[in-house]
Amino acid sequence: MKKIMLYALSTCPFCSMAKKYFNNHQIAFDSVDVDLLKEDEKEKTINEVQKISGRRAFPVIVIDDEVIVGYDELQIKEALEK
Amino acid sequence: MTKREKIFCPVCQVNFLLKESKEVGKKIVCPVCGAVLVMKQEGDQWRLNRPTDMSLEEEIRQRMDNFAHLRGYHFNEMKEALVDGLLKKYQRFGDFYCPCRIDNVPENVCPCIYTRQGDVEKNGRCHCGLFWK
Repeated sequence: MKKIMLYALSTCPFCSMAKKYFNNHQIAFDSVDVDLLKEDEKEKTINEVQKISGRRAFPVIVIDDEVIVGYDELQIKEALEK
Repeated sequence: MTKREKIFCPVCQVNFLLKESKEVGKKIVCPVCGAVLVMKQEGDQWRLNRPTDMSLEEEIRQRMDNFAHLRGYHFNEMKEALVDGLLKKYQRFGDFYCPCRIDNVPENVCPCIYTRQGDVEKNGRCHCGLFWK
């Protein structure tokens, strides 16, 4: 089973669509709404996201070792099928 | 011929050429970001301020509609969720910062600098999915 991590913002519709995609396909995933974290935890997670994706924009989806920046169903499907 | 002068938009932080005649209280639209702005005179200086006679929701809806019209972009079914996200950002951080960016800084005020600089032309849409080509 692939390990999936979704970094999201609570205000971002593409982030909600990514959550919905995994839920609708009954795919287990971890996710965090970065903007709702406590300040020190938030800073740590933002730095993590920036290191992984090179950006400070959301969503960022990590499927095993593959990083997907933004919501792209085709890219998600391809990463899941690898 | 009237000499055209530049005036500062407090939303996108750009000086643009003022085509309209100056009149206290007159509403104009920033040709760069689509913001509705109100003319104000302070001594011999003219300034533009954000409107105070409309709700925050009306203000951001008018701004995004004006910007889409200026650039020939359109919206899709994501628009309402994004209006909601922008209003939440305003309530929490004091301005209409992009709902999909973590940094609440002037560059990310909607329409964000990346969108104003051509992201929609390059990618077919802006990062958050509000403006589409």
